Amino acid sequence: MVAAAADPAPAPELGLFQAVGGRLVVIVGLSLIGALTSVVPLIGIVELARALAPGLSGDPVEASRVWWIVGWSCGALVVSFASAGASAIVSHLADNDLQLDLRQRIVEHLRRLPLGWFDQRSSGLVKKVTENDVSALHQLVAHAIQDAIAAVTVPVVSLVYLFAVDWRLALASATPLALAIVCFVLMMAKSAPRYQDYDASLVRLNQATIEYAHGIAVVKAFGEAGRSHGRYRREVSDFVRFYDDWNRDTNRFATLGELVASPAVALALIGATAAWTVSAGWTAPVDALPALLLGVGLTAPIGKIEWSAQFLREATKARRSLTEFFAQPTIERPTQPSAPNGSDIGFEEVCFSYDRDHQVLSDITASAQPGTVTALVGPSGSGKTSLARLAPRFYDANSGTVRIGGVDVRQIAATALYGQVGFVFQDTYQLRATIRDNIRLTKPEASDEAVQLAARAAQIHDRILRTPLGYESVLGRDVHLSGGEAQRLMIARALLTDAPLLVLDEATAFADPDCEAAIQTALSALAAQRTVLVIAHRLHTITGADQILVLDGGRIVERGRHDQLARAGGLYQRLWQNYQASPANFGQAVAS
Amino acid sequence: MIMIRRLLALSNPPTRRLLRRVLALVTASAILQGVVFVVLAPFLTALLSGDASGTRFWLAVLGGVVTVYAGVGWFTSQAGMNAGSFLVGSLLEILGDRLVELPIGWFSTDRSGPLSDLASHGTVFTSAAPYAIVRPLIASFVTPATVLVGALCLDWRIGLVMAATVPLMWLAYRRIAARVGQADREHVAAVGEAAGRVIEFARVQPALRAAGDNSIARQLLDGALRARHQATRHFHLTGGAAVGLFGATVYLAVVAVIVAGAWLALEGGLTMPQAIALAALAVRFAEPIANSGALGGGMAVADNTLDQIQSLLDQTTLPEPADSVRPSDHTVRFESVDFGYTAESVLHDLTFEAPAGQVTAIVGPSGSGKTTITRLVARFYDPDAGAVSIGGTPLPKLGSATVAELVSPVFQDVYLFDGTILDNIWLGRPEAARAEAIAAGRRARVDEIVERLPQGWDTAVGEGGARLSGGERQRVSIARALLKDAPIVLLDEATSALDVDNERAIQEAFASVSRGRTTIVVAHRLSTIAAADQIIMLDASGHISERGRHDQLLAAGGAYARYWQERSQAAGWRLAADSPQPRPTRKDNLHE
Repeated sequence: MVAAAADPAPAPELGLFQAVGGRLVVIVGLSLIGALTSVVPLIGIVELARALAPGLSGDPVEASRVWWIVGWSCGALVVSFASAGASAIVSHLADNDLQLDLRQRIVEHLRRLPLGWFDQRSSGLVKKVTENDVSALHQLVAHAIQDAIAAVTVPVVSLVYLFAVDWRLALASATPLALAIVCFVLMMAKSAPRYQDYDASLVRLNQATIEYAHGIAVVKAFGEAGRSHGRYRREVSDFVRFYDDWNRDTNRFATLGELVASPAVALALIGATAAWTVSAGWTAPVDALPALLLGVGLTAPIGKIEWSAQFLREATKARRSLTEFFAQPTIERPTQPSAPNGSDIGFEEVCFSYDRDHQVLSDITASAQPGTVTALVGPSGSGKTSLARLAPRFYDANSGTVRIGGVDVRQIAATALYGQVGFVFQDTYQLRATIRDNIRLTKPEASDEAVQLAARAAQIHDRILRTPLGYESVLGRDVHLSGGEAQRLMIARALLTDAPLLVLDEATAFADPDCEAAIQTALSALAAQRTVLVIAHRLHTITGADQILVLDGGRIVERGRHDQLARAGGLYQRLWQNYQASPANFGQAVAS
Repeated sequence: MIMIRRLLALSNPPTRRLLRRVLALVTASAILQGVVFVVLAPFLTALLSGDASGTRFWLAVLGGVVTVYAGVGWFTSQAGMNAGSFLVGSLLEILGDRLVELPIGWFSTDRSGPLSDLASHGTVFTSAAPYAIVRPLIASFVTPATVLVGALCLDWRIGLVMAATVPLMWLAYRRIAARVGQADREHVAAVGEAAGRVIEFARVQPALRAAGDNSIARQLLDGALRARHQATRHFHLTGGAAVGLFGATVYLAVVAVIVAGAWLALEGGLTMPQAIALAALAVRFAEPIANSGALGGGMAVADNTLDQIQSLLDQTTLPEPADSVRPSDHTVRFESVDFGYTAESVLHDLTFEAPAGQVTAIVGPSGSGKTTITRLVARFYDPDAGAVSIGGTPLPKLGSATVAELVSPVFQDVYLFDGTILDNIWLGRPEAARAEAIAAGRRARVDEIVERLPQGWDTAVGEGGARLSGGERQRVSIARALLKDAPIVLLDEATSALDVDNERAIQEAFASVSRGRTTIVVAHRLSTIAAADQIIMLDASGHISERGRHDQLLAAGGAYARYWQERSQAAGWRLAADSPQPRPTRKDNLHE
């Protein structure tokens, strides 16, 4: 077994919010102060009424007490407003720090994911995680805490005060709140089971829209003239029907709850109760005031909670998705890295599969000596691309060992490994940065002369000079490179990296038919004096290879040089004959 | 208010009617709510003064107004939710209809992400806007106005104190809006930059593993993330200060009324019940205004969605004729055509004819506008000058629908819809019988693909046709063109290397689809070029440099002959360890 340790999995539950840290206490404290003091001015008005009451019967009013109450009320108003504001700002800034921290951690995690992970449609996922998911947490940190504290504190404090003054009016004030909660619960009971259907129909609508945009040329050329994509129309009408049904189902309780919770209805109820208890002599007129002032506000938080509920739902989903992302297994890193000794490569009984069900490579044992060309040949699906990708660790073998310079690739530190193994595949990894920085990406310390030399050898120097700012032109802003040009830029980068072992997809040589010759010259320069492992499609390109490994169904079925294999009567001979008869070989036939 | 106008503008007529009704009802209930608050004042005065008959009278008035309010509220809520469903449908319909009208050029950058976000989250959010956002906004404006009018009637002095704060609020709002707008724009730009960098960082990962921990890409990304953090921070602080300033002026109104009320009560100008009732009124006056700040966030999302839809509607589309004519034959002609995607032109003064029933091959270096020619024939764009015509009629006179009927495009980056193989062929002519669709599939050699698939013709191809290889997808799209049986065929040969089997199958399929049809092929395969009835050779700047048959052009010894020579040589490229490395020139040596 290899002695390597996986990166410790992050503890996702606690971990996600660590950047908020101690500020949580500040947010909670400020929110509490804000909520508590918001009740004081209303109580102040009640006290003001008590202080002014003697005036009604012509008795003297104590002016200093009146101003004392006014002062306290206005002071509380200021404190309440200031602390609620401060809490909002602190929580927004905390959320901002959290977002930066999460994005940086996502970036760190990306750096540790196996390269194979980036093969699939990773851009969409990366965008979703770093943008949508991280932003969706905003509601949780920036709003939910404050909303929740206000929603609980204000009614509780108000009710305690109201019950202390007059229990009958307190009960009348609590009634709309209770009714609204019942309506809310009933509505949620009807609504909740449908959230899953809702999400599912949103996903279908999403897919139909994506398909519509991607297939727009087909819709225009083959669809009914002037009509939108059929599947989009179907999904839209399904979605609208669902949305409408859902609305109708929950509509009644939602409206009822809203009306019950409205200040007008609460006022009417409390007013009627007050008129009754005052006329019955149970309540002093001034004691009816608290309910009429504070009772109205009891239901206000319900609306706020309802409003933020949909954001909270998104936030919860986002948290789950982020946790899943951080749980993606990272590539194993060596605990005690060793340095490779030489540029030879060896596969020892390597087995590999992407999904553990379907074996892609079985028992591959082969080696390549320094400075030789080894070609991987086989029908599509034979495993030649997968095998080539094991060397630069796009994936790790499930069993067996891949060695470079005699050392297991899993025991080589990343920078040392990629200093030893270069690769040129059909993808071009361009950065929105200057051409110079793109070429010296792996060797930032390289001199301008070295960069130019690499660009010349890669047949791209002249093209660079034709860009508006030469080597200072920013890719994607000042200049757009064609496929073949981008390919040559990658070759220049590989030349500068100067790894002694090169893994190459031969299709690169034919990636852009309009500048094949230039790419080929560049590739020849790159391949010279290196150990080359090449995935071959056009067989004549590798007729001069030192070794050909013929793969079929994930196994090596033949090995040798071209002239031996072409007459061996095996798979290679058949492939070669097919190839010679095919139109792909047309130009080759013309040339020779 | 702007938002309401835009909502109305972006709705279909039934939705617009419904929205108008909602707006009227919302305004009515906001006024009624204000009236309830105003009526509370005389009720409180009567209650606190121990005036039993006055209390009963004002309670009856209160009850009456609240009953009307509840009735109106019920209809408002129902109408609001209905309008929501209508609005979702309406927005999605406008979006869908618009996409098919937009020029293909608009889709050349990948729009699927923003579009699907717009279709799902954006429209749903916006549909809630009339009720969840516009209603509280209107209430936050109309209810205080009603209260203010009431206060002026009840006591002009207190009313004036309240009214005096209104210009202050307005000034505060004006100051805020400009600053927040600026901070928001900077914020949006920083978010876009950082989001792009993260995706780039993920995409370039394979190249970055060799670049170590502190690569150029990492520095760019970290810089963008920090800039975003700073911009967001600035945005929150500006926004916080704005809400603070606005809130402070609102609370100033409350403080002013309480102080003025207390003073007037002490000086004898006002009785205690009147002063208290007016203080209560001041609280009700300020509450909705202060709460309106919290709605801003929801507003922004809805506004953003409307912005995006509006920008779709603002795109210019191709002109369509009132009634289309049928062309007499199917010769395609370019007459002095100039065209560019941006200010930079791609085709200059291009004149040529693709005779009916013959194969015309377009050849030339990358960037010479080969694919652009096929796009102009399919009328994805109209030329900037000159005319493209079929059978002598310019395409704008034929109309997009007729052009779509006459032309079958087979593009290089074939997109298949998420359905079965047969569904995708069927798109060519939906009314065709199954047997006909299968026959077309056979002629395009799709039968060979189908043989190895579990459900044969009815195998699902996955999103975008992901389960098939590029060559296989192109065969399906040729079958689609065969089934459509349009008289003009546009072929864009794949530039990438295909495996031998696909290469042969596609050649046969090409031959099958071009037989007897006007065919324009962007040719990369030497065999295709050599077999064409006419070759149009373009130079790098979009001019025709030569035209004729293969043997004529080869004999002429011009640009085509050189091209052919180079391509043939490239086709003979071999990769070997002893590839000669290009000798550095003397000039290069100077730098070493």
